[in-house]
Amino acid sequence: MRHWVLLHYRVPPTPSAGRVAVWRKLKQLGALLVHDSVWVLPDTPWTTEQLQWLAAEIAERHGDAFVWQAQGMMPGQDAALQGRFLAASEEEYRAIGQDLHQDGADRMALAKRYQQAHRRDYFGCPLGPQIYEALIRAKED
Amino acid sequence: MASAWLITRFIDPQAAFAFIPDPSSAPNPALGEPFDMAGVRLTHRHGHCTFHTIVEEYALDDPILHRIARIVDEADTIQEAPVEPAAIGVDWICRGLRMICQDDAEALQHGYRLFESLYTYLQSEA
Repeated sequence: MRHWVLLHYRVPPTPSAGRVAVWRKLKQLGALLVHDSVWVLPDTPWTTEQLQWLAAEIAERHGDAFVWQAQGMMPGQDAALQGRFLAASEEEYRAIGQDLHQDGADRMALAKRYQQAHRRDYFGCPLGPQIYEALIRAKED
Repeated sequence: MASAWLITRFIDPQAAFAFIPDPSSAPNPALGEPFDMAGVRLTHRHGHCTFHTIVEEYALDDPILHRIARIVDEADTIQEAPVEPAAIGVDWICRGLRMICQDDAEALQHGYRLFESLYTYLQSEA
């Protein structure tokens, strides 16, 4: 059975910069928002630590946050969540692959996008290694 | 690891470190000053790592330390605009060190060499 780490939080509506900063970090971590209420990540030492620090940051912003470790208790729940993470990674990789085939593609910028996508690819999306190879092999001419 | 090097090298050469297995348990003040955990003086602040906080708190004005603070920020936490390419390498090597070392003390010793190397290299580049 897979373990997950969950965050739910509230931050004051103003200043809006604080709300946006928290949301952006969650997106950068590749966390999934489930039912507009709970952010979910697979439980690893890295993800747990990141959510703990984010919860501390939310408290600094006069918000309120809870971080939990959890196990799914319904059949198929883990697989469904994992599928959502994989789909998000695949979409990200696919967009990079498409942009790589454009005329005058900016490989340096795309390589950076790949690195970010790879960092939040928690389940090893099969498209990842293909994009990695494509970035290395692509010629600018 | 970076913070332990910073403290030993620039603040208190006699400092000793202990590791608390469960970060959600309250630290025992008799054991010394807790750091790098939520709710204490020397911890993450405003999205910056503990190393950064220590540099600020002790008003260390060495620009190389400010540079390393940025590297550690990017290694340890999500930063919106990463500008230090060494960050992820430092992070991975630190994680690997913990895996190959017998205990925390040995890992710290290797960590000290790592950050001393980084410091010396950045100084030569400056």
